[in-house]
Amino acid sequence: MADKPKLHAVEDPPIDGIPPDPFNLDELKLGQDFEAATGVRKLLTTVPVRKPGRQEWIRVHPGENYRATFGVIDLKADSEFYLLTANMVRHFSDEVILVTIYTAINKQGVLFLWPARLPTPNDRGRVARWYSSAIEAAELAMKRSVRVKSNLSLGAYETTVTDNPLPENDPVWPDLTFQELLRIGFQKTGCFVDNFDHPIIKQLRGL
Amino acid sequence: MLETLPFRAIVPIDFEFDFGGHASPEEAGRSGERPRPTCMVAKELKSGQTWRRRRGEFDSTPPFSTDASTLFVAYYASAELGCFRALGWPTPARILDLFTEFRSLTNGLTTPAGNGLVGALIHFNLDTIGTLEKDTLRARILRGEPCCPEFLDYCTTDTDALERLLPAMLPGIDLPRALLRGRYMAAAAAMEFNGVPIDVPTLTALRRHWHDIQDQLIRAIDVDYGVFEGRTFKVDRFEKFLADQGIPWPRLESGALDLSRDTFRQMAKSYRVIAPLYELRHALSEMRLHDLAVGSDGRNRTILSAFRARTGRNQPSNTKFIFGPSVWLRGLIKPPPGHAIAYVDWVNQEFGIAAKLSGDEMMIAAYLTGDPYIAFGKQCGKLPHDATKASHPDTRQLLKQCVLGIQYGMEAKTLAFRIGQPEIVARELLHAYRDTYRKFWKWSDAAVDHAMLFGTLHTVFGWRVHVGEQFNPRSLQNFPMQANGAEMLRLACCLATERGIEICAPIHDAILICAPIDRIDDDVAKLREAMNEASRAVLDGFELRTDVRVVKYPDRFMDDRGAVMWQRVMQLLARCQQSEGAA
Repeated sequence: MADKPKLHAVEDPPIDGIPPDPFNLDELKLGQDFEAATGVRKLLTTVPVRKPGRQEWIRVHPGENYRATFGVIDLKADSEFYLLTANMVRHFSDEVILVTIYTAINKQGVLFLWPARLPTPNDRGRVARWYSSAIEAAELAMKRSVRVKSNLSLGAYETTVTDNPLPENDPVWPDLTFQELLRIGFQKTGCFVDNFDHPIIKQLRGL
Repeated sequence: MLETLPFRAIVPIDFEFDFGGHASPEEAGRSGERPRPTCMVAKELKSGQTWRRRRGEFDSTPPFSTDASTLFVAYYASAELGCFRALGWPTPARILDLFTEFRSLTNGLTTPAGNGLVGALIHFNLDTIGTLEKDTLRARILRGEPCCPEFLDYCTTDTDALERLLPAMLPGIDLPRALLRGRYMAAAAAMEFNGVPIDVPTLTALRRHWHDIQDQLIRAIDVDYGVFEGRTFKVDRFEKFLADQGIPWPRLESGALDLSRDTFRQMAKSYRVIAPLYELRHALSEMRLHDLAVGSDGRNRTILSAFRARTGRNQPSNTKFIFGPSVWLRGLIKPPPGHAIAYVDWVNQEFGIAAKLSGDEMMIAAYLTGDPYIAFGKQCGKLPHDATKASHPDTRQLLKQCVLGIQYGMEAKTLAFRIGQPEIVARELLHAYRDTYRKFWKWSDAAVDHAMLFGTLHTVFGWRVHVGEQFNPRSLQNFPMQANGAEMLRLACCLATERGIEICAPIHDAILICAPIDRIDDDVAKLREAMNEASRAVLDGFELRTDVRVVKYPDRFMDDRGAVMWQRVMQLLARCQQSEGAA
């Protein structure tokens, strides 16, 4: 009689690595933070220098370091403002007006620099009202959205607010300093005047 | 390369099957029957061992191991796994479906030869020999012919093709997540196997009298419109009707009215008066009741076409699947005697996903109120603090259209059409949405940036869309919500089927189950827990709410949107049957 074959357990050969487990969901999860993954940010390359539009709802940056007073030349024919260095202001005091430049933003998220003229001791009555009403509007716009438009009968800027009782969403201000905004708004556009060869100076001198 | 895979065995497998024997593949496709395995060829790639089995030779268990040490490889695995079910075999623990992986590798890109096995072979410049020109053999198999060596050889060519394809695809496969997709294909097989219970006597009567019912439908519905002449839809009459009603209808570039199904559907949502006409047009032109795939056991069954959509969602045939045709036809869904069905859906799923994944606190707060449309209205100041669905139904509807539309990347012009308001109102709504949910928008814009910079966008569990030559930024923007919603649904289906719940069908953001009446409440509780678990897994612990509707025999399922049409059709059917009886 032939010997019975001996049966014995055979271990499976080892395998390299651990088979992935489709039941361990925590191990399978991938992040959805696309912002961090892309590192994309919006570059601010244009900052208009202008007054608020008649239909525009705006806010003004409440930070003290986001406004300052400068001497500018208001070229009304071309709706352009030229920012002068302190040295240049001294030479052109007749042409220069003093403005507080505010950092403002509209509901569409468009950032702009708002030059609001400061009343001088010589400005009285109706003229002074125009200037001070603009500054009052800018100050109110630091707290809530306003619309600013000139009212000739009133002889002042008229400020409109909404009755919406809900707290407003604060605007998203760009991550740039006021100096950088000025550089984009004036220097990049050729509206920064720091020498006598600047075309606007030549134009004013009739050269 | 295969040696590096951490599995003891790697088994590509292919089945051939019929559905009980049908004259043509088309007939087989709409038979609604379960698969009947004809033959199987499987090969273990490390040892080279091959198994060829034909009907009558199948054992009670597969000839290879199905535990976690074996990698089961197939192309569109729910077909093979359907055969496993038919044979009573256990579901393999680790499934790699080269179809889902080919879709994931090429989703959003052009695949000139399609997404089938041959298409994948061509994509990877692999030999397609033996895999082409199989239509005649396939037709013979579907006719139910007994298995012959030719069938087995044919089956072998597919297994051989898988053997060639696997190493070519492997470097591009994200194996851990590929196995999760494979896990879903097992759930898909279970759902395809179960099917949706249908009221067959009513379907049979509808099919029998459909032509007469269509004629009567025209007469009954057109009374309010006067736009039909016989069976012909007269565009000039419709144009006059629109003018009389003051409805601004979208036009094509040519200036003609846009009468596409999509436009009709959208306009029916915006103008209720259009809805019956939309249903009627659909009933006349596109609905083919004979295509509805209902098997001899009264179940509607069709291939779910998992991962077919760009978002990874299922894309079953519109004509064969009961949830495809008009909503009123869903009234045909009816639990069998002694049973109940339950339809469980996530509430505001896409809004909730957008809120949580973007981390927008305002949006999350809106979702948590239970009515994000009213909440959005309050948040943006368009509704007072004490507004409710009852106090402001019209504004809520407007806000709802806005929220839903924006998620699909709708712009002012389209939104204006949809809400029937001037464009300035739509623009204002869009602005309010952007202003209220800023964090969401930043995240959503970043998703598109990610897609454009890196060429792909992915879900939490790795389903990808690639940015090809033809891309649509709006669909990329919507991808995270849709595709993660699809992940959530797939995962819930996996969990529920693995826990023994009989899922009849997955439907976008909902799941339909069936159970004996005395067990339905327990199964609903289990299903909701599975859906909660899936939500937590996708949304980092956040649970989306679910809603449930239970229908017990002898009641039938009814989609609210189709209830009026169903009643109307049933009345006409009764009239047809009466006339037939009288005759």
